[in-house]
Amino acid sequence: MRILVALVAALIAVPALAADQLHLYNWNNYISDETIKRFEADCKCDVVQTYYSDNEELLAKLAAGAKGYDVLVPTANAVQALIKGGQLLPLDKSKIPNLKNVDPAYLDTSFDPGNKYSAPYAMSTTIIGYNDVKMKELGLPTDTWAVIFDPKYLEKVKGRVTVLDSANELFAAALKYLGYSANDVDPKHWDEATALIKKARPYWAAFNASSYIKELTVGNIWLVHGYSNDIFQANQDAQAAKRPFHILQGIPKEGAVLAVDNMVIHKSAPRPDLALRFINFMLDGRNSADLTNLIGSGNPNMDAQKYIKPEIKKLPAVFPPKDFQAKLEQLHDLTPAQRRLRNKLWTEIKAGR
Amino acid sequence: MRRTSAWVWAAAIAAYAFLYVPLVIVVVYSFNDSRLNAEWVGFTLDWYRRLLADDAMLGAAANSLLIAVTASAVSTVLGTMAGFAMYRYRLRLLPLLVLTPIAIPEILMGVSLLIFFVLLNFTLGLVSVALAHVAFCIGFVAIVVRARLAGMDESLTEAARDCGATPWQAFRRVTLPLIMPGVIAGALMAFTLSIDDFVITFFTAGAGTVTLPLQIYSMIKIAVTPEVNAVSTLLMLLTLVLIVVATKVSPSLFRPEEAAP
Amino acid sequence: MAASKRERLAKWTVSGPPLLYLLVFFAAPTLIMVLASFRSPGEFGGLAPFVDEAGKVDLNLESWARFFTEPVFFEIFVKSVWYATLTTLFCLVLAYPLAALIARSPRRYRDLLLLLVILPFWSNFLIRVYAWMIILGPNQALARGVNAVLALFGHAPVPLLFSSFAVLVCLVYVHLPFMVLPLYANLEKHDQALLDAAQDLGANAWQRFWRVTFPLSLPGVYAGAALVFIPALGIFAIPDILGGPEDTLIGNLIKQQFLETRDWPFGSVLSMVLTIAAVALAALAATIGRRGAGGGGVVRA
Repeated sequence: MRILVALVAALIAVPALAADQLHLYNWNNYISDETIKRFEADCKCDVVQTYYSDNEELLAKLAAGAKGYDVLVPTANAVQALIKGGQLLPLDKSKIPNLKNVDPAYLDTSFDPGNKYSAPYAMSTTIIGYNDVKMKELGLPTDTWAVIFDPKYLEKVKGRVTVLDSANELFAAALKYLGYSANDVDPKHWDEATALIKKARPYWAAFNASSYIKELTVGNIWLVHGYSNDIFQANQDAQAAKRPFHILQGIPKEGAVLAVDNMVIHKSAPRPDLALRFINFMLDGRNSADLTNLIGSGNPNMDAQKYIKPEIKKLPAVFPPKDFQAKLEQLHDLTPAQRRLRNKLWTEIKAGR
Repeated sequence: MRRTSAWVWAAAIAAYAFLYVPLVIVVVYSFNDSRLNAEWVGFTLDWYRRLLADDAMLGAAANSLLIAVTASAVSTVLGTMAGFAMYRYRLRLLPLLVLTPIAIPEILMGVSLLIFFVLLNFTLGLVSVALAHVAFCIGFVAIVVRARLAGMDESLTEAARDCGATPWQAFRRVTLPLIMPGVIAGALMAFTLSIDDFVITFFTAGAGTVTLPLQIYSMIKIAVTPEVNAVSTLLMLLTLVLIVVATKVSPSLFRPEEAAP
Repeated sequence: MAASKRERLAKWTVSGPPLLYLLVFFAAPTLIMVLASFRSPGEFGGLAPFVDEAGKVDLNLESWARFFTEPVFFEIFVKSVWYATLTTLFCLVLAYPLAALIARSPRRYRDLLLLLVILPFWSNFLIRVYAWMIILGPNQALARGVNAVLALFGHAPVPLLFSSFAVLVCLVYVHLPFMVLPLYANLEKHDQALLDAAQDLGANAWQRFWRVTFPLSLPGVYAGAALVFIPALGIFAIPDILGGPEDTLIGNLIKQQFLETRDWPFGSVLSMVLTIAAVALAALAATIGRRGAGGGGVVRA
């Protein structure tokens, strides 16, 4: 009995009384340890990090009322939902002068005009990843979504292809392939995309967003619909394991989805002052470059260019050249009615109908 | 003296093998010289070194252990009471309340508890997570204890009562020792459920609370490195050691029938 | 009468604390979500305000109607029941000899053997599943072996990973201890004398098992079945990680409603259907069990 009381007391006492703490709610491995240490030295505070692995997890938790977070790092469509839901604190521009370092092409977007609430952090594109040896052997193209959707290509890689387990991403790719915008909401176009997906489904090994990269690196899977950061990492791992192939990024000529992750401040942030300081710190070129050098993420910060390793700078998926940039689209958030329709179609696809 | 038949031995060993082949892979791969948990590349102690320097991971492991021990202790006590009550008395509400948390999808329970805690203005943290864990563990303990009690010989307890024991004494000196294997089985299940829970913990954790599953699952889309294998191996060893020590230190807790009266 | 008042006091003392705890930390939060199934989803997620600006209370049956009018949800539900049933059966077959062995071991080894059963499950769930991905990988011994055998029959190679087989194997693996522990707790108290008596009367090993051991162990079997079937019904992580394109279960659908679709009311509806079905099935099994066990009064000699 006494042990029980002691345990409960320990549970309550464990959270240390916060001195100066910044609560950062971020993706895992989305900020390098050195950057954190540098910031902690600069602000003489502690950075307490907790993680999520999906925008929707973040949104669900905040929608249920969770509090205590200072800085969040949602993707553009989640930022849109948060702004409309009144969950964010406007940014005090006077405290973030480094915002001028960001490439104007990524500022003043439709979901946050004037960057009232968000500052771009890092980005990635959703493209094709492939095993170069296998693709050459089979004579398959790697610059078009056809290799993921067209049965005439798919039958050569049957059971060795995976696609992302995300309705938004897969529909976007299908719509792009069919020549529509990734944000097209016409139900007829969605039906076309659904038909396309159902025709290709028998050739796919899985809908997978979590373990596909492992399988690609090991050589069990030869072709994926995936995120540019992950594909970059997969190649690093494959080279480290001395595999006889490379994992390369395939840029589809029909276009792709661009995901820009932004730093925002939650409306009930306990330390908005530290949050602004952090955001300004991360908008400095050198700090921003750390992440790109670590995981090969895209970087909207012009000042960061000079700190980035040359071999990463030339990757088109990481720094899209102008002609590809024109074909990239950021996903918009959908209305509840649209989400319901999409879920109905997605359920049919996943149920094997 | 009858031997257990060879079939039972063979089947049991096959079952143990089924249980342990993946575990052997987990432990062996904690020495794998590759970031991915996908194939063997070479031997290294790097991940253990990295783990011992990784305060975040170690802190998360400590939190998980603390929550698991507390939650399993509380839910074992409450679950045993519930299991005994369900067996002994005709109740209608309790069996339903005990069974439903097992059936209800974790994500619903997580979201509903978060909304509930926010409504009460309850600060999220380790305590909120422990409270949530107890809620879904009670059912597991109760069901095992009740199954253990089913078909139990009442004559022993009646005899104790005839000899003048109060209900509490009859329970503590007669019933409890008889159901102890069920209580321990329940406690082990509760501990296992708590230490590996992700969904409910995700929603009820505070802004600074990290448990081991939260830390690990957030790596799911990047790479679950062998550091996770290393921390799992160490955690298993630690828990095993703790339990073995506990049984040696207070044998009467686990074997009341062998304790001095 | 003093005795019955003391009985009632004892009843409330024992059942009170767990009842109170579950009412506060389970029933109350769940009722919030039960109510949510009659509300509308919020514009950007979560739930729409309960009372909107016009003062109208937001209650409707939209989400419930959706469940009953779109058959695909029922299909997936049936598939999940099928997977959960298979999982329970395989767990029972694997767990029974294991639990029997532990129950019949000498006292000093029993605790250790039991701990050895549960030890693997204190490692993290993800890496255990990843270990299965390694075992079932297309270049590993198991897959090669199975496909070699299939090739003898002229059958095309079959992927072990990203398939229903992988999902089932993992489901059984993850739920096995929850069958072993209740079975053990029950088998442990079986009186060896009964089996000896049966043997003296001429029963062989199978008859001893089927006519004596198994009926006595039924409460343990039901407890184990409940603790495997019910959670297995709602699982989503395993199909996500190593399932094939058609291995979507009701747990995945429910998770989607709360996350991607942000349709909490519909998620609540699906959850409630799942819960009610699971509890109903468990209650049904318990009633059948109780009626069947009425004929098993062989214990009280």
